[in-house]
Amino acid sequence: MLGQIKLVLFFLFLSSIGGAIWYVQHLQAENEILTLNNEKLNGAVEQQQALIQQQLRDIESKTAINQLLDENNAKLTADLNLANEKFNKVNASGDRRDIGNLALSKPKSIEKIERKRQTQRARCFEIAQGSPLTEEELNATKKSQINAECTNIANPNYTPY
Amino acid sequence: MRIEVLEVLESHFGKNKDITAKSHLMDDLGGDEFDIVDVFVQIESKLGISIPEEETFDIMTVSALCEVVERHVGSD
Repeated sequence: MLGQIKLVLFFLFLSSIGGAIWYVQHLQAENEILTLNNEKLNGAVEQQQALIQQQLRDIESKTAINQLLDENNAKLTADLNLANEKFNKVNASGDRRDIGNLALSKPKSIEKIERKRQTQRARCFEIAQGSPLTEEELNATKKSQINAECTNIANPNYTPY
Repeated sequence: MRIEVLEVLESHFGKNKDITAKSHLMDDLGGDEFDIVDVFVQIESKLGISIPEEETFDIMTVSALCEVVERHVGSD
Protein backbone atom coordinates (compact mmCIF):
# COMPACT_ATOMS: atom_id res chain seq x y z
CA MET A 1 0.00 0.00 0.00
CA LEU A 2 2.77 2.38 0.95
CA GLY A 3 4.55 1.46 -2.26
CA GLN A 4 1.44 2.40 -4.24
CA ILE A 5 1.16 5.74 -2.46
CA LYS A 6 4.83 6.42 -3.13
CA LEU A 7 4.28 5.56 -6.78
CA VAL A 8 1.28 7.90 -7.00
CA LEU A 9 3.24 10.65 -5.24
CA PHE A 10 6.16 10.01 -7.59
CA PHE A 11 3.87 10.36 -10.63
CA LEU A 12 2.29 13.46 -9.10
CA PHE A 13 5.78 14.87 -8.56
CA LEU A 14 6.76 13.99 -12.12
CA SER A 15 3.54 15.57 -13.44
CA SER A 16 4.21 18.70 -11.40
CA ILE A 17 7.76 18.90 -12.74
CA GLY A 18 6.49 18.31 -16.31
CA GLY A 19 3.75 20.90 -15.83
CA ALA A 20 6.22 23.39 -14.43
CA ILE A 21 8.62 22.78 -17.32
CA TRP A 22 5.76 23.12 -19.83
CA TYR A 23 4.56 26.30 -18.09
CA VAL A 24 8.03 27.84 -18.10
CA GLN A 25 8.58 26.90 -21.77
CA HIS A 26 5.18 28.34 -22.61
CA LEU A 27 6.05 31.53 -20.76
CA GLN A 28 9.40 31.71 -22.54
CA ALA A 29 7.69 31.25 -25.92
CA GLU A 30 5.13 33.91 -25.06
CA ASN A 31 7.90 36.15 -23.83
CA GLU A 32 9.78 35.72 -27.11
CA ILE A 33 6.63 36.58 -29.06
CA LEU A 34 6.01 39.59 -26.85
CA THR A 35 9.63 40.68 -27.25
CA LEU A 36 9.31 40.37 -31.02
CA ASN A 37 6.03 42.29 -30.95
CA ASN A 38 7.61 44.93 -28.77
CA GLU A 39 10.49 45.29 -31.23
CA LYS A 40 8.00 45.60 -34.06
CA LEU A 41 6.05 48.22 -32.11
CA ASN A 42 9.27 50.10 -31.34
CA GLY A 43 10.12 50.00 -35.05
CA ALA A 44 6.64 51.28 -35.88
CA VAL A 45 6.96 54.06 -33.29
CA GLU A 46 10.32 55.07 -34.78
CA GLN A 47 8.78 55.05 -38.26
CA GLN A 48 5.88 57.18 -37.03
CA GLN A 49 8.27 59.60 -35.35
CA ALA A 50 10.32 59.84 -38.55
CA LEU A 51 7.09 60.42 -40.47
CA ILE A 52 6.00 63.13 -38.04
CA GLN A 53 9.42 64.80 -38.34
CA GLN A 54 9.14 64.63 -42.14
CA GLN A 55 5.65 66.13 -41.98
CA LEU A 56 6.94 68.92 -39.74
CA ARG A 57 9.73 69.60 -42.25
CA ASP A 58 7.15 69.56 -45.08
CA ILE A 59 4.97 72.02 -43.16
CA GLU A 60 7.99 74.30 -42.65
CA SER A 61 8.83 74.10 -46.37
CA LYS A 62 5.21 74.79 -47.30
CA THR A 63 5.09 77.75 -44.93
CA ALA A 64 8.29 79.14 -46.45
CA ILE A 65 6.91 78.62 -49.97
CA ASN A 66 3.64 80.28 -48.96
CA GLN A 67 5.52 83.26 -47.58
CA LEU A 68 7.51 83.53 -50.81
CA LEU A 69 4.30 83.28 -52.84
CA ASP A 70 2.68 85.94 -50.68
CA GLU A 71 5.66 88.24 -51.18
CA ASN A 72 5.69 87.62 -54.95
CA ASN A 73 1.95 88.11 -55.04
CA ALA A 74 2.29 91.45 -53.26
CA LYS A 75 4.97 92.55 -55.76
CA LEU A 76 2.87 91.41 -58.71
CA THR A 77 -0.19 93.17 -57.30
CA ALA A 78 1.87 96.36 -56.93
CA ASP A 79 3.11 95.99 -60.52
CA LEU A 80 -0.42 95.31 -61.69
CA ASN A 81 -1.69 98.41 -59.91
CA LEU A 82 1.12 100.40 -61.50
CA ALA A 83 0.28 98.97 -64.93
CA ASN A 84 -3.41 99.70 -64.36
CA GLU A 85 -2.51 103.21 -63.36
CA LYS A 86 -0.46 103.60 -66.55
CA PHE A 87 -3.06 102.10 -68.83
CA ASN A 88 -6.10 103.60 -67.18
CA LYS A 89 -4.64 106.95 -66.17
CA VAL A 90 -7.18 109.57 -65.21
CA ASN A 91 -6.64 113.01 -66.75
CA ALA A 92 -7.21 116.39 -65.11
CA SER A 93 -10.89 116.36 -66.10
CA GLY A 94 -11.40 112.99 -64.45
CA ASP A 95 -11.69 111.06 -67.70
CA ARG A 96 -10.10 107.63 -67.58
CA ARG A 97 -7.96 106.90 -70.60
CA ASP A 98 -8.67 103.73 -72.50
CA ILE A 99 -5.64 102.34 -74.30
CA GLY A 100 -7.91 99.96 -76.23
CA ASN A 101 -9.88 102.85 -77.69
CA LEU A 102 -6.70 104.80 -78.38
CA ALA A 103 -5.29 101.77 -80.20
CA LEU A 104 -8.42 101.65 -82.35
CA SER A 105 -8.17 105.36 -83.19
CA LYS A 106 -4.39 105.54 -83.58
CA PRO A 107 -3.05 101.99 -84.10
CA LYS A 108 0.30 103.04 -85.57
CA SER A 109 1.04 105.46 -82.74
CA ILE A 110 0.19 102.91 -80.05
CA GLU A 111 2.25 100.27 -81.86
CA LYS A 112 5.21 102.67 -82.02
CA ILE A 113 4.91 103.44 -78.31
CA GLU A 114 4.66 99.74 -77.46
CA ARG A 115 7.74 98.95 -79.58
CA LYS A 116 9.64 101.63 -77.69
CA ARG A 117 8.41 100.25 -74.36
CA GLN A 118 9.41 96.75 -75.44
CA THR A 119 12.95 97.94 -76.11
CA GLN A 120 12.94 99.66 -72.73
CA ARG A 121 11.74 96.46 -71.02
CA ALA A 122 14.57 94.50 -72.66
CA ARG A 123 17.01 97.09 -71.35
CA CYS A 124 15.47 96.71 -67.88
CA PHE A 125 16.32 92.98 -67.96
CA GLU A 126 19.88 93.77 -69.04
CA ILE A 127 20.29 96.23 -66.17
CA ALA A 128 18.74 93.77 -63.71
CA GLN A 129 21.28 91.19 -64.85
CA GLY A 130 24.19 93.51 -64.15
CA SER A 131 24.65 95.59 -67.27
CA PRO A 132 26.20 98.97 -66.33
CA LEU A 133 24.16 102.12 -66.87
CA THR A 134 25.01 104.28 -69.86
CA GLU A 135 25.87 107.99 -69.60
CA GLU A 136 22.51 108.77 -71.15
CA GLU A 137 20.69 106.72 -68.52
CA LEU A 138 22.70 108.22 -65.68
CA ASN A 139 22.15 111.78 -66.91
CA ALA A 140 18.42 111.39 -67.52
CA THR A 141 16.60 113.91 -65.35
CA LYS A 142 13.61 114.69 -67.58
CA LYS A 143 10.55 112.55 -68.16
CA SER A 144 11.20 112.41 -71.90
CA GLN A 145 14.67 110.95 -71.25
CA ILE A 146 13.84 108.14 -68.84
CA ASN A 147 13.19 104.45 -69.26
CA ALA A 148 9.50 104.44 -68.34
CA GLU A 149 9.50 100.70 -67.66
CA CYS A 150 12.01 100.61 -64.81
CA THR A 151 12.90 104.17 -63.90
CA ASN A 152 14.02 103.17 -60.40
CA ILE A 153 16.89 101.05 -61.65
CA ALA A 154 17.60 102.67 -65.02
CA ASN A 155 17.61 106.36 -64.14
CA PRO A 156 18.87 106.89 -60.58
CA ASN A 157 19.16 110.66 -61.05
CA TYR A 158 15.58 111.15 -62.17
CA THR A 159 13.19 112.63 -59.63
CA PRO A 160 9.52 112.33 -60.56
CA TYR A 161 7.78 115.68 -60.70
CA MET B 1 -2.18 129.18 -80.00
CA ARG B 2 -5.56 127.98 -81.21
CA ILE B 3 -8.07 128.23 -78.36
CA GLU B 4 -9.44 124.72 -78.96
CA VAL B 5 -5.96 123.24 -78.60
CA LEU B 6 -5.41 125.12 -75.36
CA GLU B 7 -8.79 123.95 -74.07
CA VAL B 8 -7.93 120.34 -74.79
CA LEU B 9 -4.50 120.69 -73.17
CA GLU B 10 -5.95 122.38 -70.09
CA SER B 11 -8.71 119.84 -69.80
CA HIS B 12 -6.20 117.00 -70.14
CA PHE B 13 -3.25 118.22 -68.09
CA GLY B 14 -5.00 120.65 -65.73
CA LYS B 15 -5.69 124.37 -65.69
CA ASN B 16 -3.03 124.89 -63.07
CA LYS B 17 -0.33 124.08 -65.61
CA ASP B 18 1.42 126.97 -67.28
CA ILE B 19 0.84 126.04 -70.90
CA THR B 20 2.83 128.03 -73.44
CA ALA B 21 3.98 127.35 -76.99
CA LYS B 22 7.34 126.26 -75.63
CA SER B 23 5.87 123.80 -73.13
CA HIS B 24 7.12 120.26 -73.48
CA LEU B 25 4.23 117.82 -73.36
CA MET B 26 6.17 115.36 -71.20
CA ASP B 27 8.78 117.37 -69.34
CA ASP B 28 6.65 120.44 -68.55
CA LEU B 29 3.10 119.12 -68.61
CA GLY B 30 3.89 115.70 -67.12
CA GLY B 31 2.30 113.61 -69.85
CA ASP B 32 3.49 110.36 -71.35
CA GLU B 33 3.40 109.07 -74.91
CA PHE B 34 -0.14 107.77 -74.48
CA ASP B 35 -1.27 111.21 -73.26
CA ILE B 36 0.06 112.79 -76.46
CA VAL B 37 -1.91 110.32 -78.59
CA ASP B 38 -4.96 110.95 -76.41
CA VAL B 39 -4.58 114.71 -76.86
CA PHE B 40 -4.45 114.33 -80.64
CA VAL B 41 -7.59 112.19 -80.60
CA GLN B 42 -9.38 114.83 -78.51
CA ILE B 43 -8.22 117.69 -80.77
CA GLU B 44 -9.31 115.80 -83.88
CA SER B 45 -12.70 115.21 -82.34
CA LYS B 46 -13.08 118.82 -81.16
CA LEU B 47 -12.05 120.36 -84.48
CA GLY B 48 -13.55 117.70 -86.70
CA ILE B 49 -10.26 117.04 -88.47
CA SER B 50 -8.15 114.01 -89.16
CA ILE B 51 -4.37 114.12 -88.81
CA PRO B 52 -2.33 111.28 -90.33
CA GLU B 53 -0.59 109.39 -87.54
CA GLU B 54 2.82 109.67 -89.17
CA GLU B 55 2.66 113.43 -88.70
CA THR B 56 2.04 113.13 -84.98
CA PHE B 57 5.01 110.87 -84.25
CA ASP B 58 7.69 112.52 -82.14
CA ILE B 59 5.62 115.64 -81.45
CA MET B 60 6.83 116.77 -78.05
CA THR B 61 6.08 120.48 -77.73
CA VAL B 62 2.89 122.51 -77.78
CA SER B 63 4.21 124.61 -80.68
CA ALA B 64 4.91 121.50 -82.79
CA LEU B 65 1.45 120.20 -81.92
CA CYS B 66 -0.15 123.49 -82.93
CA GLU B 67 1.76 123.51 -86.21
CA VAL B 68 0.47 120.09 -87.16
CA VAL B 69 -3.08 121.01 -86.17
CA GLU B 70 -2.95 124.29 -88.11
CA ARG B 71 -1.88 122.44 -91.26
CA HIS B 72 -5.05 120.37 -91.15
CA VAL B 73 -7.63 122.90 -89.99
CA GLY B 74 -9.53 124.02 -93.04
CA SER B 75 -7.75 121.59 -95.31
CA ASP B 76 -9.96 118.65 -94.22
